[in-house]
Amino acid sequence: MLFKLLRQFSWRELTHHPWRNAAAVAAVMLGVALAFATHLINASALSEFSTAVRSVNGQPDLELRATQGTFDEALYEQLANNPHISVASPVLELASYALAYPSPPDGKRIALKVIGLDALVVAQLAPALMPVPMQDADRFSLFTPGSVFLNAAARQALTDTFKIQSGLQLLDVKVAGSVAAGGAALAVMDIGAAQEMFGKRGQLSRIDLRLKPGTDRATFIQTLQLPAGIVAAEPGDAAERVSNLSRAYRVNLTVLALVALFTGAFLVFSVLSLSVAKRAQQFALLGVLGLTGRERLGLVLMESCLLGLLGSALGLLLGTGLAALALRVLGGDLGGGYFAGVAPSLQFSWLAALTYGALGTAAAVIGGWWPARTAQRLPPAQTLKGLGAAPTQGNNQWLSIILIAAGALLAAAPPVFGIPLAAYVSVALLLIGGITALPWLVALLYDRIAPVVAHQLLPLLAVERARRVRASAAVAVSGVVASLSLAVALTVMVASFRGSVTQWLDVVLPADLYMRTALPTGAGASADTVYFTPEFVASIAKVKGVQRVSTLRTTSVSLVSSQPAVALIARDVTDPGRVLPLVGNPLPVPPDHIAIYVSEAMVDLYGARPGAVFDSFSASFKPLAQSIPDQKAINLIANENSSKFYVAGVWRDYARQFGAVVIGKADFERLTGDTRVNDLALWLATGADSSQVELAVRAAADQFSGAGGLIEFASTRQIRAISLGIFDRSFAVTYWLQGVAIAIGLFGVAASFSAQVLARRKEFGLLAHLGLTKRQILTVVAGEGAAWTLIGSVAGLALGLVVSLVLVHVVNPQSFHWTMDWVAPWLRLLGLCAAVVLAGTVTAWLAGRAAAGQDAVLAVKEDW
Amino acid sequence: MTLHIKNLAKRYPDSAVFQNVSLSVAPGEFVAIVGESGVGKSTLLNCMAGLDSWDEGSVTLKGVDLGGLPDDQRALLRRQHVGFVFQAFHVLPHLDVAQNVALPLLLLGSHDEARVEAMLASVGLAGLGKRLPQQLSGGQLQRVAIARALIHRPALLLADEPTGNLDPTTAAKVMDALTAQTREHGASLVLVTHSQAAASRADRVLYLRSDGISS
Repeated sequence: MLFKLLRQFSWRELTHHPWRNAAAVAAVMLGVALAFATHLINASALSEFSTAVRSVNGQPDLELRATQGTFDEALYEQLANNPHISVASPVLELASYALAYPSPPDGKRIALKVIGLDALVVAQLAPALMPVPMQDADRFSLFTPGSVFLNAAARQALTDTFKIQSGLQLLDVKVAGSVAAGGAALAVMDIGAAQEMFGKRGQLSRIDLRLKPGTDRATFIQTLQLPAGIVAAEPGDAAERVSNLSRAYRVNLTVLALVALFTGAFLVFSVLSLSVAKRAQQFALLGVLGLTGRERLGLVLMESCLLGLLGSALGLLLGTGLAALALRVLGGDLGGGYFAGVAPSLQFSWLAALTYGALGTAAAVIGGWWPARTAQRLPPAQTLKGLGAAPTQGNNQWLSIILIAAGALLAAAPPVFGIPLAAYVSVALLLIGGITALPWLVALLYDRIAPVVAHQLLPLLAVERARRVRASAAVAVSGVVASLSLAVALTVMVASFRGSVTQWLDVVLPADLYMRTALPTGAGASADTVYFTPEFVASIAKVKGVQRVSTLRTTSVSLVSSQPAVALIARDVTDPGRVLPLVGNPLPVPPDHIAIYVSEAMVDLYGARPGAVFDSFSASFKPLAQSIPDQKAINLIANENSSKFYVAGVWRDYARQFGAVVIGKADFERLTGDTRVNDLALWLATGADSSQVELAVRAAADQFSGAGGLIEFASTRQIRAISLGIFDRSFAVTYWLQGVAIAIGLFGVAASFSAQVLARRKEFGLLAHLGLTKRQILTVVAGEGAAWTLIGSVAGLALGLVVSLVLVHVVNPQSFHWTMDWVAPWLRLLGLCAAVVLAGTVTAWLAGRAAAGQDAVLAVKEDW
Repeated sequence: MTLHIKNLAKRYPDSAVFQNVSLSVAPGEFVAIVGESGVGKSTLLNCMAGLDSWDEGSVTLKGVDLGGLPDDQRALLRRQHVGFVFQAFHVLPHLDVAQNVALPLLLLGSHDEARVEAMLASVGLAGLGKRLPQQLSGGQLQRVAIARALIHRPALLLADEPTGNLDPTTAAKVMDALTAQTREHGASLVLVTHSQAAASRADRVLYLRSDGISS
């Protein structure tokens, strides 16, 4: 029976107002499309990235990997005779840059991964890395120094001969063939040639192992008795690392996209509220004819389900199209930088499509629930007379208090698998709790205003209606509250983040000019192949116009194999409070301890505590000394108590979300013997011209190694402008989202007011009979709009500020492991609220225009 | 004269509603208008109040020709001199009884709680001022409408089937209240009704037809 009613009764209504219903369908469609497209892009990029990692890493049973940098290849010789090992493949993996030669297509360096391997065994473990010589090439080219085999991405970017950067040197190489591995640009060469080229003689990055059948992996690892700094890892760890690296970013992006779906639910709610109000007497008549309240509820829910299904289906189509377009135009990177350089193909998933389709439909059904309940509860006889239901007080503040309290408690919960799931639920509960508390807020405010306006007709009519039908008022402005609170929360979060980043830049950029030889995209990964020598630094210090030079050595340390490596920064920290953006004051370092300063992520991810020795870092640091072929350094670290790295402070790092450790330059060089540096900060002499200094430094570099063109310069102002520009671009989407959310909220107000106006046509007709002019009736409606949106704005502002506290103090630290200072841009927030009140008032006025027309008079006449 | 109508005609594009309607209502006079359904009784009342337009003739209320007034001026005139009682009561559901009754006073920029109390008492609703309309019976709601129609002491009261939704006993009581209060306030009353009992209370009974009105 309900399906027949849906076809005859509801379908007519749906097709009678195609644009209004299309708006609801479009809102659901947009929400589903954005969320699904985000999912597809991330899933495709992750899949492509993982495939590339698998093709590079091959399919070994086990891999032995250095926790930091490289290890001595003597281990490989030991393993070669192990009876449990079937195949052992030594690998040296390096990150560097390539420059097309002699005529670079765009004159720019490209990041290039270089893999040195043994071509005789690689085919058994990583066939995608097996070099395939060109047709006319000598088959011994596999072992020829200076011969490389490129994958498709590298082949596309480079010429037959090109140069590879090592330190400040550019070395000639010749393309001898190809490899099948996908992903970012990659060059394969003989391991001996690679060791020679990059000064890594006798060093390996990893050894891939194929075990003999029947070998128990765990027992085998135990029997290996691996030296410190080398770990045995499952092949899956690499893929997991890729997933971990981007998980928080992917989840946050998906949640942001789901906000659109959340506002879409409000639009469905508004449209169906309007539709039910318009058909109240039809529903009442159906009720009189025998349609039960539960059946009326079911009918409206089916209508919302229909809108949701249609919107979801269109959303999935649009989302798939958007994802395909984005993958083609942007590659797999949506701005986080995790998948830069990846060009994935679309990985459509029916399971994901069904999930997001179900989410869209569920959002629409949730949006339709309240109007469906209205249709269920309307009293048929009263409604046919035009009186409607008795006003409900809607003062169930206990539910609101419980929801808000639960939200507050969940905000204190820890992350789940590194994702702030509890905090997201907390935000949802705070929003729902706040919205359900609206009737109470309406009563609180307007019960006090009512006596003041008791003798002024127009304010009386507006205030009394808002007060007496507070539940309806709350429903009408709930969309505004939801959208404004999200807008306020995002505005505060972005302002807080930007303010903190600005302060952070002030501390981390104290010099006039910065120079480096590695490109920003390769920072860290290429730190061991692309660097400045101490001699070069000394020559720069003598350049005219340079007053002082400060150095930065960046390398990495792996603390846990399933987590991305941690950046290790060696620099001058004689005055840590001044040179580092510390959270709190630096602690005094006990005698015989080495001071380290950890970023906030280290506290979250590895349990580093200020004022305590950081044991796991001590263990991971040892290989750094061992990797340097300097017996003195090895003895030094071996003789030192390995538990002496003392956390003397925690600093904010907005550049590396997976952790960074700063150690004093002198300590680092003493313990490792590594005197290379990656970045230089230059303080210029008074009156020195930075462009002249740049030229002089390049000339010095040319004189030193002929590589002046490889140096990148940036002034503090440029870095600040670029950093804040990237920041603003990254968050531009939130402004669009705020705009869309507020527009949907206001559409909800318009739809609600239209619904109210339709339901109150006779009421306005009566006012016309009593002598109210058209303008006065419009003033009443606009006044109600102002009264309601004022409450909505107050509630939205308050709720948004609370939600922003959760975003700033919980979601961000749990997602990205950095904190920020909460900053509210009050002027902008008040402007936003004022704009919403104004827009709400105008929207109500527009919706009320029909109420003041001849229709209203005729509505009364219907009874005559 | 409180109300003077001369040769009034109202047409829709495809048919005439009524024509040649002329009548006058003296101060304090009670006139009942009866006629078949669809003959235009409600439309005629709308024209008397300046709420509907007409095609020919004139309507003069308290000496002012409504045809020459803009909408806002008509509304002001209605506010001062006209009271309405409808078949379906039409009370505002979100205002309490006293606030509903006080509406015309507030429209005129005054408030007089004592007068509202007295008016409620005079229609038998003493002590019910704070109740909401949903808490009243049909008969009580119509008394609220009568009190509201007379609170600002209008010169003309227009009532359309005020007992149409009520049982005979309640209808009689409501008519008692309506006529008593109208006479007490010295207002003219134009009553549109199908009820012989209600019409019989009038000073004059007029029959509306499509071609005119007659006694």
